[in-house]
Amino acid sequence: MKSPNRTHALRLLIAWAVLSVIGVVLVMQIQFPPGDQSRQSADESSLLSLMAVLSTPVLVGVVLFILYAAFAFRQPAKALEDGPANYGNFRLQVAWIAITAVIVFVLAGIGITQLASASTSTDFSGTQLGTTSPVGGAGKSLQVQVIGQQWYFTYRYADYGGVESTHLILPVDANVVIHVTSTDVLHSFWAYQLGVKADANPGVDNVAYVTTMHTGSFTVRCAELCGIWHGNMSDTNGKVVSQTDFATWIAQLQKDNAALTLPPYAPAYFPSPKVKGT
Amino acid sequence: MVIYKQTIVLYGSRVVVSHTPRVGTRLLVVLLGVAALVALLAGFVVSFVLKTPQAISGVSATSYDGVSIHLETVGAVQDAIDFPQPNNPHPTWVSYLPTTTLKVPANSVVTITIDQEDSASGLRNPYWSQAQGIIGGQFHMDYFDAQGNPQSGDFTKLDDASTPAHTFAIPDLGVFVPLLGISDAAPAGSINVITFSFRTGAAGIFHWQCFVPCGAGTIYGNGGPMQTLGYMGGFLVVQ
Repeated sequence: MKSPNRTHALRLLIAWAVLSVIGVVLVMQIQFPPGDQSRQSADESSLLSLMAVLSTPVLVGVVLFILYAAFAFRQPAKALEDGPANYGNFRLQVAWIAITAVIVFVLAGIGITQLASASTSTDFSGTQLGTTSPVGGAGKSLQVQVIGQQWYFTYRYADYGGVESTHLILPVDANVVIHVTSTDVLHSFWAYQLGVKADANPGVDNVAYVTTMHTGSFTVRCAELCGIWHGNMSDTNGKVVSQTDFATWIAQLQKDNAALTLPPYAPAYFPSPKVKGT
Repeated sequence: MVIYKQTIVLYGSRVVVSHTPRVGTRLLVVLLGVAALVALLAGFVVSFVLKTPQAISGVSATSYDGVSIHLETVGAVQDAIDFPQPNNPHPTWVSYLPTTTLKVPANSVVTITIDQEDSASGLRNPYWSQAQGIIGGQFHMDYFDAQGNPQSGDFTKLDDASTPAHTFAIPDLGVFVPLLGISDAAPAGSINVITFSFRTGAAGIFHWQCFVPCGAGTIYGNGGPMQTLGYMGGFLVVQ
């Protein structure tokens, strides 16, 4: 006669395997945010997908065991007694610690690699501020500055004379170096679909990297509580456009900006507005 | 089901009887306490959210399909000429008057006339000295120049970013208009009158604000009136 424990284990194992496969297949159908508008956001999406796929069997295992135990090992009514003493199982403990450790370290490794590749890719060589390196050509990157201010983000294009815009327009298939700063309090630049979030601190040039992959629009939000209109500090008109459209747009922006006297392009600004009464 | 447990322990010859206190009574007290707290918090939040400045509606224009709104910007609420506010809790604050909740119709032309009576604070970002999103790209201004002489003209921008007292900006509609500060040389009680028009689209509620850090005496000029609904910002209700 088979031991009842083996029967329970076998049932659980089969149910776990079947449900895990179904769960993983379902989870793989999910389109994880933030999408694939940039290489960085595509990396984030695939990493989220991988983590969800790996954690699904764990979730299925835990929930399944709880439910199974609640029914199969249920104490009959009125019989109030302790279960048999359990003195641990060395092999079981070593196994689960080892498996958990392997999963955690593999995920950490993949995550760190992707985080590092977002900015250390050779695509971004020669990205010092002020270098004239407009779009196109290997190793070239577009320098864009994001200026947070109460309560809107504006954008300056270092490679095009430091012209300024109220919307962030980027060319597709371009390596973009984003320099984030602020003129007043702390803000946080969050271009959701581009997979970029970077703090905007006054006096600081905070650098983030984006490699645009698909045209489309994206939403920019402030992700740092910055005052009464923080909740309105957003723009749904960010766009990744074709390289020709970008050239047309930036030429028009240069015309619109021609009459303006803007401060010279700089990594950070320290404006000193007049104080009333002085 | 056993809720109350009575334990009898024998210590030598002493008999100790311990009771578990009545769980039901305790639970009721805790639940009532939590409910009272939640009600207080909810009351506070609701009363805070519902407290909005009064609204004004645009006045239908006679010569075109749209409305006009007359506003005043003052260096201190107590100095208001057009719209006195004797009961305002902050008489020394800069402010748009008479209110900052503006109701306008959808898909129409809105003409705003601002009597600007405040001195310049200057823009932190000079980019905002250019007018954007207004019909014709230009605003009309009857103003006093640096020498204190009355002038009149149409402008696309203010040349010197340190001269605006305020801006009228509706970021989500792309409307940004700088408002020239009263020149130091202008006679006392001078007013710069700025007029511009923009088009509204679909119905919605859009926030508008000033981009000049004009809140004197508050840190970085962006506190006080800049952070309080009804002074240097409000809502454009397009309906």
